[in-house]
Amino acid sequence: MRTGPVHPIRNTRYLRPQKEWKEIIAIYLYLAGMGAGSFVIGTLINWMGTKLNPSFLPSIDLFGYALNLTGVPILWGPIMVAIGAPFLILDLGIKWRFMYACLNPRTSWVARGFIILSIFIILGLALLAKSLLPFKWLHAESVLWRIPEIIAFAFGLGTAIYTGILLKATRSIPLWNTNLLPLLFLVSALSTGSMAIILSTLGTGFFSHDAGALKVLMGGEQILVVIEGIVLYLFLSRRYRAAEQGKDSVRLLLFGEMKLMFWGGIVLLGFVFPVILENITSFFPGSAVLIFAAGILLLCGGFFLRLGVLHAGIKDQIPMHRLMEIQYNVMAERTKALAGERLKSPN
Amino acid sequence: MLLALSGSCGRLEMQEQEKVLVVDHRKCTGCRLCELVCSVFHTGSSNPSRSRVKVVKWEDVGFYLPMACNHCEQAYCVEVCPTKACHREPENNNRVTIDKKLCIGCRTCIIACPFGHPFFDIQERVTVKCDYCDGDPQCARFCDVKAISFTDADKTNMAKKREAFLKYAESMKQVR
Repeated sequence: MRTGPVHPIRNTRYLRPQKEWKEIIAIYLYLAGMGAGSFVIGTLINWMGTKLNPSFLPSIDLFGYALNLTGVPILWGPIMVAIGAPFLILDLGIKWRFMYACLNPRTSWVARGFIILSIFIILGLALLAKSLLPFKWLHAESVLWRIPEIIAFAFGLGTAIYTGILLKATRSIPLWNTNLLPLLFLVSALSTGSMAIILSTLGTGFFSHDAGALKVLMGGEQILVVIEGIVLYLFLSRRYRAAEQGKDSVRLLLFGEMKLMFWGGIVLLGFVFPVILENITSFFPGSAVLIFAAGILLLCGGFFLRLGVLHAGIKDQIPMHRLMEIQYNVMAERTKALAGERLKSPN
Repeated sequence: MLLALSGSCGRLEMQEQEKVLVVDHRKCTGCRLCELVCSVFHTGSSNPSRSRVKVVKWEDVGFYLPMACNHCEQAYCVEVCPTKACHREPENNNRVTIDKKLCIGCRTCIIACPFGHPFFDIQERVTVKCDYCDGDPQCARFCDVKAISFTDADKTNMAKKREAFLKYAESMKQVR
């Protein structure tokens, strides 16, 4: 007979984290968030007129035209989103039907996300191509380009927030069913995105027009990491108090099977090490290795954050489950009592 | 069946009463015949793992609970389905069903359902769920002890509520 302290019904059936969305979805959420975040930060840098030093950039010729690479290290975000989107397709049961995923935007956030991501990828890649191609007829400096840039910026923000809304919209999992999750994923997208831009600009002469631009970007990135930490704390504390399964999810993350991923992957790799390394970097200006190490660790932390949130999702308990628990308790007590009586009786 | 007269010329219209699956776990013996017949009807194979109804069993106390789709009034699976594959059919007992030709196998409905009902069929690579076997649920038909029955919604609703509250009250008394 089972004698464990945890209720057997809850332990064996209802406390299981969801197993439908696994690593592939986490990769998709991560790449979409990071790519969108880096595009948003890159567009802001672009609007501020900060350019990379062309003398540090390699020269690439395409059909006799020299490509303009100054915008690539800050506007490559849509490429990551375009790489991430196929991971969602890989997770589908019937992959070739992925185009059907936009048929119900009225109520489904998966369908809305399909549309948001598609527009962002198309517009973002078009803007990247515009910055890359040297053709004069494109009028790259024209103010009219601001219109698609603003639209792409809005859809970039939308993509970063959407990764959280996708989970929130499922509603049955208390850990995900909060507005703090889209906010957490947005802040994480911006912090990993800005770090990805810092990494991609390493070795490209940094920023030429403004010597302090990189410093400002790194400062901003550190602020984002701190905000992300605060939002993560609020997210976990609120979810702990929200519902029984929310509490179970948080306990699973902090003290359960996933504690290594949380404390090692999310807290140490995503928050503690990058902040320490970036602060050490301020004592050794120009140390690309330290920035690179901090960047890689922070990017890994961003991935583990999504993986942890996905894996810790435990479904809500409906009133019927509570009734089943009570009835189970009653039956278990009866069984115990019967067993006790049999032991006592001489026959 | 409910017969209703409508129109001034006395046109006779036959209107079908909405029916639902009702489960009485106290009668269930855990034989899992419902799973078997369900899988045979839907897939042609006697494979309970592909059944649309699942019997959750706690053998240590002899507690068995057949779990089938509730065809909820506000069905989360319908809301979250990106392709409209999961949809409601008011003409067929107001059932919630999945169109296999439209389903992409994203499993969002499985995550959204608070009852954990739609299942992912490994062989067909789509999500499947109870569709009342097109009006003649095999689980109810073959259940010898009548733990599962297919009865009029109007009749069962009040009875179900009354039964649930009585059960709850009884359980609470025993807990005290």
